Amino acid sequence: MHAPVLVLKDSLKRESGSKVHHANIQASKAVADIIRTTLGPRSMLKMLLDAAGGIVVTNDGNAILRELDLAHPAAKSMIELSRTQDEEVGDGTTSVIVLAGEMLHVAATFIDKNYHPTVICRAYNKALEDSIAVLDKVAMPVDATDRATMLGLVKSCIGTKFTGQFGDLIADLAIDATTTVGVDLGQGLREVDIKKYIKVEKVPGGQLEDSKVLKGVMINKDVVAPGKMRRKILNPRIILLDCPLEYKKGENQTNAELVKEEDWEVLLKMEEEYIQNLCMQILKFKPDLVITEKGLSDLACHYLSKAGVSAIRRLRKTDNNRIAKACGAVVVNRPEELQESDIGTGAGLFEIKKFGDEFFAFIVDCKDPKACTVLLRGASKDLLNEVERNLQDAMSVARNILKNPKLLPGGGATELTVSAALKQKSSSIEGIEKWPYEAAAVAFEAIPRTLAQNCGVNVIRTMTALQGKHANVGNEWVGIDGNTGDIVDMKDRKIWDSYNVKAQTFKTAIEAACMLLRIDDIVSGIKKKQAPGAGPTPSKPKIEEEGDADNEQILPE
Amino acid sequence: MAIVAQTPDILGERQSGQDVRTQNVVACQAVANIVKSSLGPVGLDKMLVDDIGDVTITNDSATILKMLEVEHPAAKVLVELAELQDREVGDGTTSVVILVTELLKRANDLVRNKIHPTSIISGYRLAMREACKYVEEKLATKVEKLGKDSLVNCAKTSMSTKLIATDSDFFANLVVDAVQAVKTTNAREVKYPIKSINILKAHGKSAKDSYLLNGYALNMGRAAQGMSIRVAPARIACLDFNLQKTKMQMGVHVLVTDPRELEKIHEREADITKERIQKLLKAGGNVVLTTKGIDDMSLKACLLNFHFSCLVQSFYFVESGAIALRRVGKEDLRHVAKATGATVVTTFADMEGEETFDSSLLGHADEVVEERIADDDVILIKGTKNSSAVSLILRGANDYMLDEMDRALHDALCIVKRTLESNMVVAGGGAVEAALSVYLEYLSTTLGSREQLAIAEFAESLLVIPKVLSVNAAKDATYMGLDLSKGIVRNNLEAGVIEPAMSKVKIIQFATEAAIMILRIDDMIKLVKDERENEED
Repeated sequence: MHAPVLVLKDSLKRESGSKVHHANIQASKAVADIIRTTLGPRSMLKMLLDAAGGIVVTNDGNAILRELDLAHPAAKSMIELSRTQDEEVGDGTTSVIVLAGEMLHVAATFIDKNYHPTVICRAYNKALEDSIAVLDKVAMPVDATDRATMLGLVKSCIGTKFTGQFGDLIADLAIDATTTVGVDLGQGLREVDIKKYIKVEKVPGGQLEDSKVLKGVMINKDVVAPGKMRRKILNPRIILLDCPLEYKKGENQTNAELVKEEDWEVLLKMEEEYIQNLCMQILKFKPDLVITEKGLSDLACHYLSKAGVSAIRRLRKTDNNRIAKACGAVVVNRPEELQESDIGTGAGLFEIKKFGDEFFAFIVDCKDPKACTVLLRGASKDLLNEVERNLQDAMSVARNILKNPKLLPGGGATELTVSAALKQKSSSIEGIEKWPYEAAAVAFEAIPRTLAQNCGVNVIRTMTALQGKHANVGNEWVGIDGNTGDIVDMKDRKIWDSYNVKAQTFKTAIEAACMLLRIDDIVSGIKKKQAPGAGPTPSKPKIEEEGDADNEQILPE
Repeated sequence: MAIVAQTPDILGERQSGQDVRTQNVVACQAVANIVKSSLGPVGLDKMLVDDIGDVTITNDSATILKMLEVEHPAAKVLVELAELQDREVGDGTTSVVILVTELLKRANDLVRNKIHPTSIISGYRLAMREACKYVEEKLATKVEKLGKDSLVNCAKTSMSTKLIATDSDFFANLVVDAVQAVKTTNAREVKYPIKSINILKAHGKSAKDSYLLNGYALNMGRAAQGMSIRVAPARIACLDFNLQKTKMQMGVHVLVTDPRELEKIHEREADITKERIQKLLKAGGNVVLTTKGIDDMSLKACLLNFHFSCLVQSFYFVESGAIALRRVGKEDLRHVAKATGATVVTTFADMEGEETFDSSLLGHADEVVEERIADDDVILIKGTKNSSAVSLILRGANDYMLDEMDRALHDALCIVKRTLESNMVVAGGGAVEAALSVYLEYLSTTLGSREQLAIAEFAESLLVIPKVLSVNAAKDATYMGLDLSKGIVRNNLEAGVIEPAMSKVKIIQFATEAAIMILRIDDMIKLVKDERENEED
């Protein structure tokens, strides 16, 4: 007999073996089930209430999952997938979760049959490789410069979204915005930096149809001295600064000890002179508009308005950069270092407009804007937020096509093609990997199946009909029209998806599934560096007896 | 029964003799059991969740054990052992833990049969020495003999246990290329500083889209949008101070009597930094890296002056402009400095109290360029002058996966490095252990002393590695030298399942030393920590 030996802390919980496999699969499936209904054009929205009572209404997979606070580690890992997808291609966030969930679901049967997880992983990876090869074969190149094609494409991609009902509007906006900021890098490569150069401004009020892409930039600011400064200038000369037009305070703490009365006057005068000096230097270049990121004192305001110059202060740095890009100006730090070439002359119109009770400054009609603002109008803030998310997706889609102009059929046709191809190939695979490989092929059908479910047709009948079609050669483009549930050729209905999105979806989903499958042990409750305070309530201490410890015979029977 | 002797002079518990030994062994076994299932190509991963809910998914024993809060003192020794192995060799952490446990278990049985621990210890020592000698003399094969493929094979063997096993061909080549790219030869020896292989992680794409990049990658964008995206050839200044308006240290108050002086102070504050930048430029620098901040004013000063200098020198440079980077990590800066031959400058002041910047302090590189990877901007320093630096850009589904890939690649890099350094490889897959076991068993019969028993047990213990391998592969544990994906016995040396000899030797050495240490313990005194625990008692 021995005294019990305590190896791990009481607070640690440890689970291992096939229990973990099942728990992980369950958790992932739960996540997939949450957002399953948001796939496809007939999708439903979700309303999320956060802790502060704010409301999010969306059907964007990433936006939903981001708000969820999940406890299970495997579920968390699933949520990360959707984030990755959003960062990389911006679309397909729902599909990736549904697909990963299905991949794990089909693996469960093999775990039950005592298949070793690594065998399943190997088969899945093989399936991934083959499926990408199939994608390459089916993909159709497209002319990214042809506006009509692009429009159709973006439209079909965001057709699933809330704004789908507004027709071409969002697609138009997205294409306009992305073509505006696209930069040719040479060698046929195009770079589109959505994050830096496209700003989406939401102004509640008006109608959604009033939304537009500005040929320039809009900012939520008024001139410093309304009434005294001009609010509409044609062909303005713009100076951008990122220094304050105020009397500067030094970095060092300086105390001035004044003994004489005159000194006090000198000091005040100096401050005035300093500002005057600054303004004179600026005015030398005869600007019509001065914009600074920092403050602008009353005195400077006076000098500027006297010279008939409009001024805007306290602009955000990112906005300033965008204006610089739009009108060709250079942001200057020291007025004394201004040069003629730093002045932006590209803008055609500067105007302050009033929406509701707020003023907005427009710098528009730029000659060759490399940055732009998308102005969204709509009934309520929640609606605008959702429209913005849709627009982001649409812009990502447009960017993906500009970067890699290849298309795949939408509406589940791609998945069915891949599935059919893999099924055919599975018969030629040797060894036990054959079955998981075939299961992976079946898992791809989750996407068309969910589509069919969401648009309310008879799932079994539709799926069998589709499988039948895809089993024959030449029907690669047949899929489900998500609106009507009909089985149609995607080419006729113009339902497309971009190659980047599809390939990324498959890769992310399968790799993540493999990672979760490989886990056979979960240890939770590890404290981070002895954080004081109550940890979780101590569970039953884990006691290792000599007999248990020697579990060499863990051979699966 | 536990013999708990509470003597008045020890405030706590005291255990001794067989009890302690058994307890230690059981504790070690518990630890080994945790990591056991992660050994071998078909080993599985662990998911570790801390109390905030952060998740780590890993297969690396050193990481697993570090994350677990092991309480038992003997088990802690094992955790440290795994860490040691990780530092020294970089791989084989699981093997070492399993081997120690087996050695201990068998030693404990011997002690129970009334063999004194010291004779076991001396037996183990002898066995270890013989085993190492045997590995080096008989089992190891020169790398040259097996050709260059052996490096790839080593990397593959190391990686085959990890998440990226399915793409091990791809990653093994990546790793070998990376290590060979950073090869530096000085007068006496050839070095492979794997630290200059920078591993960068970016979400998205798939694991197979990872790639090797020639040049050092810094995970940040340039400081201002107006700067040029590409500079070639680059002369790099590495700074370790602020390029902001000069500020006195320690809250010095400056007292002025004449208000005009105040103005001058302000003027000067801005000018000092400006002059510094001008000095940098005069020396010829066109890429500025600093660990601290650069404020807007200085950035603009940089830009303006660069424009100016470029106008003057536009005959020489096709591309004009410059790049400044702020808040570069200190570690990164050191690596860049080393790779480009730059000197990290902490101050411009020289012996005369003047401020100078010599052009010899600048580093050189063929090109510095900003690129976009996934959603992030990355600065790449290519074609560095002194030693070559490379970066591995990892892509993958999510953070957890990337972290695990990082660990796996690190292990593989270490293994390739060791192989190159030691030039000797042995067959993996438990083949060495099996061979050693046979040899030692034979050796034990030639001895007449009591150590004979210990050596025989040592020989038996070594078999635990192939046994666990086959258990993990769900095979009957009687095969040796296994190809684990198919489960058949074969010549692993020919099949390309190899490991550096040094790693094997180290495993045996560390394991034996640790086992001996734990074995020597025959008394454990646990002092009572504080009152709270007393109350609980």
